[in-house]
Amino acid sequence: MERRELLKLITLATGGVLIGGELFLSGCKNDPKIGGETFTPEDIAFLDEAGETIIPQTATPGAKAAAVGSFMTVMVNDCYAKDDQKIFHSGIGKLNDAMDKKFKVAFMEATPAQRKELFTELDKEAREYAKKKSDFDREQSAKLKDATAKGESFEKKTMDPHYFTMVKQLTLLGFFTSKTGATETLRHISVPARYDGDLPYKKGDRAFFE
Amino acid sequence: MADNYFDAIVIGSGISGGWAAKELTEKGLTVMMLERGRNIEHVKDYVNAQKDLWEFPHRGQRTQQMIEDYPVLKRDYPLNETVLDMWVKDKESPYTETKPFSWFRGYHVGGRSLTWGRQSYRFNPADFEANLKEGIGVDWPIRYEDIAPWYSHAEKFAGIQGNRDGLSVLPDGDYLPAIEMNIVEKDVAKRLKEHYKGTRHMIMGRSANITQPKPEQNRLNCQYRDRCWRGCPYGAYFSTQSATLPAAMATKRLTLRPFSIVTKILYDKDTKRATGVEVLDAQTNQTVVYKSKIVFVNASAFNSTWVLMNSATDIWPGGLGSSSGELGHNVMDHHFRLGASGQAEGYDDKYYFGRRPSGIYIPRFRNWDGDKRNYVRGFGYQGSASRSRWSRDVAEFSVGAELKEALTEPGSWSVGITAFGEMLPYHDNKISLDKSKKDKWGLPVLNMDVEIKENEKNMRVDMMADAKEMLEAAGLKNVSTYDGGYEVGMGIHEMGTARMGRDPKTSVLNGHNQVWDAPNVFVTDGAAMTSASCVNPSLTYMALTARAADFAVSELKKGNL
Repeated sequence: MERRELLKLITLATGGVLIGGELFLSGCKNDPKIGGETFTPEDIAFLDEAGETIIPQTATPGAKAAAVGSFMTVMVNDCYAKDDQKIFHSGIGKLNDAMDKKFKVAFMEATPAQRKELFTELDKEAREYAKKKSDFDREQSAKLKDATAKGESFEKKTMDPHYFTMVKQLTLLGFFTSKTGATETLRHISVPARYDGDLPYKKGDRAFFE
Repeated sequence: MADNYFDAIVIGSGISGGWAAKELTEKGLTVMMLERGRNIEHVKDYVNAQKDLWEFPHRGQRTQQMIEDYPVLKRDYPLNETVLDMWVKDKESPYTETKPFSWFRGYHVGGRSLTWGRQSYRFNPADFEANLKEGIGVDWPIRYEDIAPWYSHAEKFAGIQGNRDGLSVLPDGDYLPAIEMNIVEKDVAKRLKEHYKGTRHMIMGRSANITQPKPEQNRLNCQYRDRCWRGCPYGAYFSTQSATLPAAMATKRLTLRPFSIVTKILYDKDTKRATGVEVLDAQTNQTVVYKSKIVFVNASAFNSTWVLMNSATDIWPGGLGSSSGELGHNVMDHHFRLGASGQAEGYDDKYYFGRRPSGIYIPRFRNWDGDKRNYVRGFGYQGSASRSRWSRDVAEFSVGAELKEALTEPGSWSVGITAFGEMLPYHDNKISLDKSKKDKWGLPVLNMDVEIKENEKNMRVDMMADAKEMLEAAGLKNVSTYDGGYEVGMGIHEMGTARMGRDPKTSVLNGHNQVWDAPNVFVTDGAAMTSASCVNPSLTYMALTARAADFAVSELKKGNL
């Protein structure tokens, strides 16, 4: 991370999907690292399938091949604050319930088409929720600023993140920073050795992993 | 005892300490360079330099454990899984804060020369005159002409890539061929120049990354990996390890001693000279004394002042250099973390290859060339244009193959700029010894009592508004501003606390960086700064150090020290 990258980080943190940025913010809570809950092999298999629904195998390998299930558990255990860990864990149950409600089938038994349909709905729900959350957070920040200016104290509240946002973020982060994601889906040049700031680009060319 | 005697002692091995060691040994002196932290050997100890991101368990992100272990570093971007070994362990090295102050330190051989941003600019002639003209702080005891040859000396050796842009606000230096702007940056630069009729400029950032090999230094040119922070296995950016340390070692007159915390400079009140230093071995807890003819204090601004505050306290309770009442005062940093970004349309058929180690720079234009604001001094911007990556939001696709395909391509172009502003030297912005708290070696810690004031706050209004106005003038769309909030210290440009000046009553150092009360003690890091300019300061430390070393050796030869 370079100093001039700071802006990118902040842009991510205030933009729609808060990959990294969200981790950055939730990381700021400084809660002790006590998750209390552990992940089972079944959870990992479940998260692999959830990840695969978000980033499936196409001409190149998908999220499961990038082992995003176990990656998610590492990130949740090590990087999430305690409250966020709870939300993530309960999210597994919520995903199953939502699948049961919609298709009367367990998530692991559902077809890829059913999973995709459910996730498309959840994504919509999570986006709407994220908008509310970002409005709320902005309002709280403004109140804090006002109170600070007046010399008053104000306890800033925040809305919990949506569990589906967490799953999607960790899938994208886990996939695109994995070896297969970076080198087979994206293009990775380990030692570019030169800089060309005027490279022709045509639609369909893969992005470089940066 | 003979083993403990050197012509010169250099306290600290970062950017300025490395330069002191190189200059002094090359001029024939035997030098002991003392570093409080561990050694980091060039290339061999850059443990993360060759790793790909997927080799890090958290892909570079911060963990809750890291957050707990690094209560200071966590406040900003430096806390990162890939460079953890390059920062001090906060818990082992506490300090206290009367007002919030972020102090990001590197306690190891090379110091922050390994993690610096590498932006390398000269102060301009007005920077050295502004204090006098505006009646702020004290006058610099030197002028641009005094330091200009030393800027050249530093640039040639360190290797700075950049263009000679011919701007009075940002004097040109001796540069290696510049890294190129990308196509969008070039167009934005052109439009800014037209719109502001040549009063504002976007130039390629000048940085200490070499674009041609330096075989005499065993350094290869930049490979465009953009992983400088992890240590460069090619030696392509300037650091103590890549440049000054090997030069000093080649003379066979340098001794480097890691794990050596200098607790005080030893002072002889009869001769009014320092006689050496007392060292606490950080591994054995043994006290060792080293003697020398001269002492260069390059422990990084605040720690240099900490050493002075702990020295000669039997004569001056406030420490060596405190007779002026200015030791520890006039703290400065560069205030930043705000700016703007916007989208560039019409470049979908353009991309770039390679990852540059430097972006663009917009030099100061406020309070310059007849412009007059409700504050003094000015600010510059760093930034870049790039296409967004996989981490962007794709509103059209929620999940599945379509989302994957969309994220496989680069996204829209955007330009982002972040402002860096000058902070004035205020006497009441100070650091002091906090004797109520001790570190793990039982040494008193520093207390920080620093804030930005009206001048900086007024400047910040322009820093944000001008960013937006310029990006819009350059034709960018959806321009939005941001202010990430600034806490003093976050600029990682601590300056002041032992300022240079013309009068021993109002300054700690004279025009040759000698402590007024001990002429064989030289302080040539950020502590010496009389004002801050708005440009990145490290090149100025290099030049001041080389200049002071030259003076010190000539004075030694004359028998004046």
